[in-house]
Amino acid sequence: MLAPDGPDEDWVRRAQRGDSKAFSELVRRHQDRVYRYLLRMLGSHDDALELTQDAFVKAWEALPQWQPEAQFRTWLFRIANNTALDALRRRKLVEFVPLDDAFDAPGSEPDPERQAQATQEIRLLEASLKRLAPKHREILLLREVEEMSYEEIGHVLSLSEGTVKSRLARARAALIEISRRNSR
Amino acid sequence: MSSAEPCPRTEALSALIDNELGESDRVALDAHVAGCAICAPVLAEFRQLRTSFAALPGVAPGVDVARLVEGRIAAADAPKPRPRQQPQRLRWWQVAPAALGGALSLSIGAYLGSALMLGSEVAAQPAALQMAAFTEIPPGALCPALQACNPAGR
Repeated sequence: MLAPDGPDEDWVRRAQRGDSKAFSELVRRHQDRVYRYLLRMLGSHDDALELTQDAFVKAWEALPQWQPEAQFRTWLFRIANNTALDALRRRKLVEFVPLDDAFDAPGSEPDPERQAQATQEIRLLEASLKRLAPKHREILLLREVEEMSYEEIGHVLSLSEGTVKSRLARARAALIEISRRNSR
Repeated sequence: MSSAEPCPRTEALSALIDNELGESDRVALDAHVAGCAICAPVLAEFRQLRTSFAALPGVAPGVDVARLVEGRIAAADAPKPRPRQQPQRLRWWQVAPAALGGALSLSIGAYLGSALMLGSEVAAQPAALQMAAFTEIPPGALCPALQACNPAGR
């Protein structure tokens, strides 16, 4: 019997032997992160939900190829990212749809003026993200939202750490430039 | 690194906020940024960007994705319905024996039929008798009265 809070890798080994319940446990652990990433990549709840399922089904099918040296989370994000890029290519969905309700500012801001400013900043960030090239968007989301290290991002995107470092810098500079133009 | 040196590339500043610089590089860059009018605002913008990302609201799928995935995996594992067999196009050499057999049967039938007809009385009947089929009382029909079949009354 595996510990419910045990490492992913224990559950993956069990799932590799065909235990679908063990795989379901892995899905529950990662579904919110994968969905969040795909939502910010694609901008649509329906697309993100569908592609989240696609990514997990692909992960199940590819499970025999998983090696213990690979971190399950980065391995899974690699699949999710490829799924997102395929969808963007297939649907030519380069437009990032605003996240409607998700734009609300965090409720922890007590000052209405500060809250309005925070809302404005979030809207500006979302609007700028939608104009950002997918290769810059993906790397920024992995770093800033998923808080991955350069090494982990390298595994997800199949890049060297040096390339991750330079691409992240260019992505940040590009996003700031777009934000500057949007706020004028 | 002194302020007189060229401003470092944005790459180093980006790595600085990601905490991906070695200790000595970080200390040197911090010292440079403190006195550099170009680098300091760039670093401030990078930090502001991080703050904005951190303020993004949390999102969740709102459904149990695991259950949906379980359903899809189960459906994929289930035995798939057999694809309907498409009618195969027959080749000439598959059709030839049947066609030959059919043609041979028809020929034999026609030959036997004509041989029987030639040997029968029907073929020997004069044309007038054959035309009797179209008279008022065709051959083989019953005569209601003698005159009906023989107007001469014989």
